[in-house]
Amino acid sequence: MKMNYMADLLVKLSEAVELGKVDAKSPFPPQLRGMEGASELTARLLVSGYRPQQILEDALVPAMDRVGRMFSENKIYVPQMLMSAKAMGASMFQLKPFFTSGEIKTRGIFIIGTVKGDLHDIGKNLVAMMVEGSGWTVIDLGVDVHSARFIEKLQEHPGAVIGLSALLTTTMMNMKEIVVDIKDVMPGTKVLVGGAPVNQDFCMKIGADFYASDPQGVVGYLNQLTT
Amino acid sequence: MIDMNHWCNQQLQSKQRIAIPIMTHPGIEMTGYRIIDAVQNGRIHAEAIRKISAVYPVAASTTMMDLTLEAEAFGCKIEFQPDEMPHILGRLVTNAEDVGNLKVPGLGLPRLQQFCEASKIAIAHLSDKPVFGGVVGPFSLASRLYDMSELMVACCTEPETVACLLEKCTEFILNYCQELKKIGCNGVIMAEPAAGLLSNEDCEVFSSTYVKRLVENLQDKGFLVILHNCGNHGNCTRAMLNTGAKVLHFGNSIDIVKTLEMCPEDILIMGNIDPVGIMKMKPAQEVRDCVSEVLRATSTFRNFILSTGCDLPTHVPLKNIDAFFDALRVYNQDVIIKEESLFLKNVLPQ
Repeated sequence: MKMNYMADLLVKLSEAVELGKVDAKSPFPPQLRGMEGASELTARLLVSGYRPQQILEDALVPAMDRVGRMFSENKIYVPQMLMSAKAMGASMFQLKPFFTSGEIKTRGIFIIGTVKGDLHDIGKNLVAMMVEGSGWTVIDLGVDVHSARFIEKLQEHPGAVIGLSALLTTTMMNMKEIVVDIKDVMPGTKVLVGGAPVNQDFCMKIGADFYASDPQGVVGYLNQLTT
Repeated sequence: MIDMNHWCNQQLQSKQRIAIPIMTHPGIEMTGYRIIDAVQNGRIHAEAIRKISAVYPVAASTTMMDLTLEAEAFGCKIEFQPDEMPHILGRLVTNAEDVGNLKVPGLGLPRLQQFCEASKIAIAHLSDKPVFGGVVGPFSLASRLYDMSELMVACCTEPETVACLLEKCTEFILNYCQELKKIGCNGVIMAEPAAGLLSNEDCEVFSSTYVKRLVENLQDKGFLVILHNCGNHGNCTRAMLNTGAKVLHFGNSIDIVKTLEMCPEDILIMGNIDPVGIMKMKPAQEVRDCVSEVLRATSTFRNFILSTGCDLPTHVPLKNIDAFFDALRVYNQDVIIKEESLFLKNVLPQ
């Protein structure tokens, strides 16, 4: 009986994240108005004794995987994806103590930032939340991030993967300097690049390791690194 | 005054192609100025437009696409860099109350007056070609006032707040466009890239509804609305069509042939050479090949106008711009040769 109850909660949590239902108060999506959201469902699973690691792996990761695929296939768009991110964030907030205590193991550390001179964050945010939703620890350095800041964080977390984002044709040129600086200090570091004006050619020219045209591409690459 | 209905019909009837790339930055570089000069001084801005028109066979001129100008008029803080387009710092409005209290500004912002001045000078010097003013679209302006990510979320959770903000943005843009019309601009190129991040349905609700109102109030015999959305990758073309704009301008992420196939023949379609991946980064021969290929692939559509997918960035090699126009010249030459040989075949005895 308890198993069925928990399985039902897991399915509901996964759906809440996929559909972007943050909590009971949230008016979105209209079809779930008044129902419990990711926040309440996660709390109920924890109270019921469900292991935090399993909540992450059985509900959140598959939900975000579906969200990523639907985004890549143009079945959902940025607003819906951001709502899913908010719902996942509400669930992760409940799980935070278990990350801190080490009870939840993540797949690795991903350090992301919008490169120096660029203040745009929507692409970076989408990637950060998709990567977090696939079971990685994400360190988001924000916007206008210089080489020194990336290197400082990398030295705190050796082996972390770096993600660089740029929206402007002018600031994408700053990616090269950051890639060179990072590889100078820690040559084995994997550096991913992305953003509207960036492409595969540019990625190769500046010596980065991977270019992704969408967040799902980043998740795919990162997960390959850990398998 | 140029009759823009006639101008559109001319393009629709001609087998030859015209080109209207969006390229004020090369003009700024060619005149020896920097971006910071052009975005703050209408005379320098106009000189860059005149230079481009003097050197290249552009069929019309556009003023700069500075997507911070209208936001600055509302009160956003702007950061200026010598060789970059201005940036907006922070958010101006953060909630429904802020949005409700937001006043629609007048047109007194000094920098906005400089943009008007640039249009005036350009119109006076380029009387034989249309001059289109660059303006931002309502949803893209709202995203600058409210923050892009937050506006996207608000579309889901607070659509009434977003609607209220869009009403204010639309009112301001209408006033600005009417001023540009009064000055003598032959139209505007309205940049609405943020709407490209929405589904067709959401684009309809949060962008096209407002753009349509602008089109209905502005577009006539003497004034065109060119709706530019380089964020659209095919997801919201129908919503763009529903605005009633006579000209749609697409970015490089769209399949231009498929787009031409789905658009009515009397709507002019502009696009879509990649401004960075091709124009800035490829050697001249690859630019020539790419432009030739686009012209070949679109040759059966009379309603196509060659353009770049967005504003050319800084430091595009001039030989690449030469290659762009050279490919156009060769294409049009071939059209003439084919027409002449067809004519001769028809009139001469077998």
